[in-house]
Amino acid sequence: MSVATLSAASSAAAAGRLAGLRLPATVVLSFAIVALVIAWSLAPGLFTSQDPVNGVPAHKLLGPSVTHWFGTDHLGRDLYTRVVYGAASSVTSALIAVVIGVIVGGLIGLLAGFLGGWVDIVLARLVDILLAIPRFLLAVIVVTALGFDTTNTAIATGVSAVAVFARVMRAEVIKTRQATFVEASFLQGGSRWYILLHHVLPNASRSVLALAVLQFGLSILVIASLAFLGYGDPPPASDWGLLIATGKDYLKWPWLVYAPAFVTIAAVLSVNRISRWLRKTD
Amino acid sequence: MRQRYLTYAAKRLAQAVIVILLTYVFTFVVISILPGDPITNVLRDPQNGFTEDQIKAIVAAQGLDQPIPVQLWTSLSHFLAGDLGLSMRSTRPVTTLIAEVLPSTLVLASSGLAVALLLAAVIAYGTQFLSKRFGQGLLRAFPSLFLSVPNFVIGLVLIHTFGFQLGLFRVIEPESAWATFFAAIALGIPISAQIAEVLIANLDTESRQEYAAVARSRGLGQARLFAKHLLKPSSLPVVTVIALTIGELLGGSLITETVFGRMGIGSLVQRSAAAQDLPVLQAVVSLAAVVFVLVNLIADLVYPLLDPRLRLVGDAKQQPNTADESSAPTLQAVTG
Repeated sequence: MSVATLSAASSAAAAGRLAGLRLPATVVLSFAIVALVIAWSLAPGLFTSQDPVNGVPAHKLLGPSVTHWFGTDHLGRDLYTRVVYGAASSVTSALIAVVIGVIVGGLIGLLAGFLGGWVDIVLARLVDILLAIPRFLLAVIVVTALGFDTTNTAIATGVSAVAVFARVMRAEVIKTRQATFVEASFLQGGSRWYILLHHVLPNASRSVLALAVLQFGLSILVIASLAFLGYGDPPPASDWGLLIATGKDYLKWPWLVYAPAFVTIAAVLSVNRISRWLRKTD
Repeated sequence: MRQRYLTYAAKRLAQAVIVILLTYVFTFVVISILPGDPITNVLRDPQNGFTEDQIKAIVAAQGLDQPIPVQLWTSLSHFLAGDLGLSMRSTRPVTTLIAEVLPSTLVLASSGLAVALLLAAVIAYGTQFLSKRFGQGLLRAFPSLFLSVPNFVIGLVLIHTFGFQLGLFRVIEPESAWATFFAAIALGIPISAQIAEVLIANLDTESRQEYAAVARSRGLGQARLFAKHLLKPSSLPVVTVIALTIGELLGGSLITETVFGRMGIGSLVQRSAAAQDLPVLQAVVSLAAVVFVLVNLIADLVYPLLDPRLRLVGDAKQQPNTADESSAPTLQAVTG
């Protein structure tokens, strides 16, 4: 009984806190869409009972219907099923890209901003180089260097995002480093490491988090573009970009392009909305 | 003031040259540490039909038998002399290959930029004429929508609707005027979003300024206030933002050209990437970097002359040239 009251109380408290946040309706919807996409990628089998790889040739190129929400493709495979099974690859790739950007870019920005001096100068030039090469071209070059597959497109996308993270992190670190409370902490005998871990990083993390969420959405787009150009895994992989690329050869059956495109846009739009909301609720 | 500007210009110029050289080296290193071996991948490909003697000749001509630092030095000194080397696949000069496809990309990129500017202006300036309750929110949502759509999807939708269904252009003639127009729209839409976001942010900042409040209290309507007071200060900083979008214009062309089947730099990169034709990739990346750095250099040098609010304070680091992608460029406005 006590457990029940406890959980009831805590859930009431949670609801209260949630109400206190006063989430805009679009943000709630965005979280719901992102949650759905993550659920798709974790357990695609729960959302569809059809086979993503082997189709029924007799059912090829059917329009959207109750049994086939997004219609079927040229091999008679259910497109909704392919989108659901493709989520894992698209989400994981974008995650890899963001992690690379945050860790490498964050470290560069942190060192440049915190150490200053010649370290800053050298790292600033490195970031200038990365910024001088058009982002997408940089991704193409890196994926060409690494070889064509989906993980490599994710790595390439991450490399192309390093400069942006480095820049924001550096700016945040410099901003915090000059704050009065950091000076106070230093005068009280706080070591550089203590200040870095307890003051600079937590303060910078908010902006970097918002940027990371934004870059997650952007990475989905870049990875989809790379898959569209044929730098990712070949079919039967069902990355969203690849699905759209396959669909473009069957423009007479436009849902083959529109359905996966709609899912991609909805996901990216939601992620962008969340990022905007994070930036505003500082 | 004049002296300061010249020092600033000299500093920026030196910086630009250094970045271009370092970018060349960086690209060379990235390409050279390729796990794949261009000799076996390209030259020994039976489709190319080279004999062993020919392969040896090409390897010697490209200097591929030299150690990497020597290769880098040769390649860099040739680059500085304007020689971009020979394509590994077709053994033709890279300069010729690029010159053949450059006009197509220039047409696409410049019309894409025109579309982007026009759309951004319509969206951002439009917010000034719509009321908060009606329409303005909708208009403000456009940039984030545009940023969420992959530009190849826009291209495909345009091809499907205007090419196939309405028959406005024939897909097999990708360089025709209509096809170019729609390709420019596909390329321009995502870029317009970035420009519009900065414009809207600037307009919001400016309309919160005291001078705007004074003008309103004098009874100036929103339309006149916008035209007489807000338009110029909020639009000028966009010069630097446009310069920053050059990279995306080039990257976007890569995809748009593939979608529309145009023969431009993008399709050259596509073919060279597939064939691991490294000299071509090296050349295109370096040229893209040169264009990007020069355009930004020009924007940074011209901008202080355009905007009278801007006085050069301190060293070049504090210049507004490094506008964050996430926020509007912060101006160092002179107060008093």
